[in-house]
Amino acid sequence: MSDRMDILQMLSEGKITADEAERLIAALEKEQPASAGGNSETGSKAKPKYLRVVVDSQHSYGNHGPTSVNIRVPMQLLRAGVKLASLIPAQAREQVNDAMREKGVAFDLSQIKPENLEEMIDQLNDLTIDVDESRGQTKVKVFCE
Amino acid sequence: MIPLVASVSVRNKKSRGFRLWIPLALVWLLLLPVALLLLPVVFVACLVGRSDPFQALSALWQILSALKGSDIAFDDERASVLIHVF
Repeated sequence: MSDRMDILQMLSEGKITADEAERLIAALEKEQPASAGGNSETGSKAKPKYLRVVVDSQHSYGNHGPTSVNIRVPMQLLRAGVKLASLIPAQAREQVNDAMREKGVAFDLSQIKPENLEEMIDQLNDLTIDVDESRGQTKVKVFCE
Repeated sequence: MIPLVASVSVRNKKSRGFRLWIPLALVWLLLLPVALLLLPVVFVACLVGRSDPFQALSALWQILSALKGSDIAFDDERASVLIHVF
């Protein structure tokens, strides 16, 4: 808190410009959560460790009756997968993008970069996807834990 | 650290099930000569694709390491199968 006051003091004394003060405060705010994170977990949510996909199907495949699939994937696997995906040659990546576009998924694989991944994983913390088929026979749930 | 053990548990609703422990450490040891033989091929493929072979190998190693803690459970009317990687 005193650092912030020091910056405001310097601003009022005309030692720094408003622009510089803003940059210093932004840098200070960036530093604070990082240092607070090591001390306690009360302020921030714990990072998700696993991605879980649960599929419940009431469809009968042959004589097998209702089926359920429950998959737990470590987030670490996502990170490694994205790293590997970033190594895909540009030509192959284009082919993948084209194939996905043909299937109606307008998605650019090159947009997934390892440096963006941490932010994406942080956002996954609050993610829950529920898919109910129109007839209610299949339910898909994707969430983090 | 790569996973060293996996377990496959199969339960039949009508009869007794079983659990199979797979020593992945042995599997990796058996696959090591194959991996060494394939290494030059991977290097050439990476160079042709203009990718860094060392980064590719590092990413593959990270994928293997990240498999730890994976769970796959499949359940239907007759049987259930649970695969867990330790």
